[in-house]
Amino acid sequence: MSLINRNAFFIFLGGAAISLVIFLGLTWDTHRQFGALTHADKLSEQVVSGKHVWESKNCNECHTILGFGIYYAPDLTRVYKRIGPDSIKAAVKTPETTFATSFRKMPNLKVTDQEANDLTAFLEWVSNIDNHDWPPQDNAEAMSASERRLTGAGLSRGAAAFKENCMQCHSIGGTGGGSGPALDTVGNKYNAAIIAGLIKDPGSVNAGSRMPALSYVSDDDRQAIGEFLAKQGGGQS
Amino acid sequence: MSARSTGMQPAAPGGIAMGPRDEKLVPYASQRVAYWYFVSALALFVLQIVVGLWLAISYAFTIPQSVVDVLPFGMTRAMHTNLLVLWMLLGFMGGAYYLVPEEAEREIYSVKLAYFQLIVFLVTGVAALVGFTFGWTQGKPLLEIPTPLDFIVVVGALIFLFNVAMTVIKGKKTAILGMLLGGLTFLALLYLFGMPFYRNLSIDWFYWWWVVHLWVEGAWELVTAAILAFVLIKITGVDRRVVEKYLYLETALFLFTGLAGTGHHYYWIGAPSTWLWIGGIFSAMEVLPIIAMVVDTFLTQRRHGVVIKEKVVWMFALGTAIGHLVGAGVFGFAHTLPQINYYTHGSQITSSHGHLAFFGAYGLLNLTMFWYAVPRLRGVSRFKASLATWGFWIMCLSILGIGIAMGIAGVIQTYVERVMGESFMTAQGYMQLWFKVVLFFGVFMLLGVIVTFWYMMTAKQTNEER
Repeated sequence: MSLINRNAFFIFLGGAAISLVIFLGLTWDTHRQFGALTHADKLSEQVVSGKHVWESKNCNECHTILGFGIYYAPDLTRVYKRIGPDSIKAAVKTPETTFATSFRKMPNLKVTDQEANDLTAFLEWVSNIDNHDWPPQDNAEAMSASERRLTGAGLSRGAAAFKENCMQCHSIGGTGGGSGPALDTVGNKYNAAIIAGLIKDPGSVNAGSRMPALSYVSDDDRQAIGEFLAKQGGGQS
Repeated sequence: MSARSTGMQPAAPGGIAMGPRDEKLVPYASQRVAYWYFVSALALFVLQIVVGLWLAISYAFTIPQSVVDVLPFGMTRAMHTNLLVLWMLLGFMGGAYYLVPEEAEREIYSVKLAYFQLIVFLVTGVAALVGFTFGWTQGKPLLEIPTPLDFIVVVGALIFLFNVAMTVIKGKKTAILGMLLGGLTFLALLYLFGMPFYRNLSIDWFYWWWVVHLWVEGAWELVTAAILAFVLIKITGVDRRVVEKYLYLETALFLFTGLAGTGHHYYWIGAPSTWLWIGGIFSAMEVLPIIAMVVDTFLTQRRHGVVIKEKVVWMFALGTAIGHLVGAGVFGFAHTLPQINYYTHGSQITSSHGHLAFFGAYGLLNLTMFWYAVPRLRGVSRFKASLATWGFWIMCLSILGIGIAMGIAGVIQTYVERVMGESFMTAQGYMQLWFKVVLFFGVFMLLGVIVTFWYMMTAKQTNEER
């Protein structure tokens, strides 16, 4: 080996070693902190069973979680907080009805009740991982700031509350989710008070409803959404 | 010239048989093992693109529930990526079996083991693909192969390492061989971290990247640097010591930036915030060794004023350097800083980067080696560049089209979903046009790969100047 190449060889070893030491040092530190950051004390056997379901049903091959996986379907890091346990179970057990009007379908993976419960426990645990508030679309603070700037200013309170709480599943004028019915003409069917009540307890208005009870929406917001929706569809068929 | 007559015969059984060996082109008989690795790799590459077209259709159009229930997107996507990993690894292994005898100046330790190992990998690969259709999976993207098959892969890898190491130990030792063997050992070791079941999802992803990132930005860089150095020495005739010096310096930079640069995958997994700093700084530097490689490759020719006769191999080598820079370097750098990555992480931006980087850096590298070795193995010392050039440009422009279309879709997604706060499906609605563009370029990609594969197997000997 020539002198120049010997020097180059030592630069090669040195460069790799410095980076490796930093990397392994931080790996050690990460393991020290993972317990607290991921709330490992709440990682129950049911959560682990849920992770087995997550893997055996190949969920990660369409969805991302913590942003990793495939981008064919929504990220599920915060899905528990976004749509809640009942909607998760309904979607995995009967995707053909939940996504009946969606232009992208989810396969029916023959998930049992037990599996759906375990999976939901897993997703609940994941939703509490302290990951610097990623993803932005489920980060209330980041979202409300941009919502205020970009849309909120031009919307009535009812429209803004509808957008925030309902459009994940319902659409108006073709914009919004497809898992619940489109609400373009809902005003022909229900008045504001009924809609406000339905949001809190869907079963009280429509016994067969698959919609989860949105008990976290404030009374004022429910009223505002009711008034907004009651105006939808007056003259239209 | 005997090579000429064999080159003229397209129709041995299956049309792809090697024909007798020309000792001037292929000095060691055991190098011929590589041929079957290359043919298998190319066939799997074609299959990967075919499956990819189905994925693009699934993105661009509505697939009815009845089809989705039988043929879920996830199953075909697992095939697409596993075919990628399998064909690239077979390409690297074939490349190793081709270059090791010439470098070590002796025959491969055991040709039988080399063939046996190829069969092991092919059978495992086919079993995995068939298994996916029955839902037999570990459920982790890219590492879907179930644990029992993982063990067979490990056995196959150990056979390979043993065979290469024994050849090197018994033969001449060069810097290229050291780099190759180091990279291959590193590659095999890292695979082990993806095998266990981790109870904690965050720890699971932490070690998932030990396989995926440290492969593509660590072990694979060493292997490809060694293969590229071998090809450059052969086709440019530049002094070995010069090439070796740059081999060391560039891989030093690759490892220095790439190891700690793994941190750019740890921003949002529930790991400490130190990673935002370390990952951001080191991964931002990951583009430097690539720039060095591009400059070095161009200067190699200028500096030494050599006339390169093997235009096709040289074209693919330059393509590798530039593809590496654009796909891995520029598209990677664009979203590696945490301030940007917060909005782009897990969107089609990642997908765009993935396609350009894998093809640009590793697809073209493998094809460079194939174009160097396969004509020689077929007894062809000189052939017309025409269809090889067509194949090159169709593939490169198609993948660029795919990458740009996915990138535009990703920007739309980032803005509509992550900034505006619209639902995932609303954003996908705005993106659908660009998935149709991906499909359009995907069809041309398939054409480019088929042209390349077909011409590599059938190119005839010519004595004309091109």
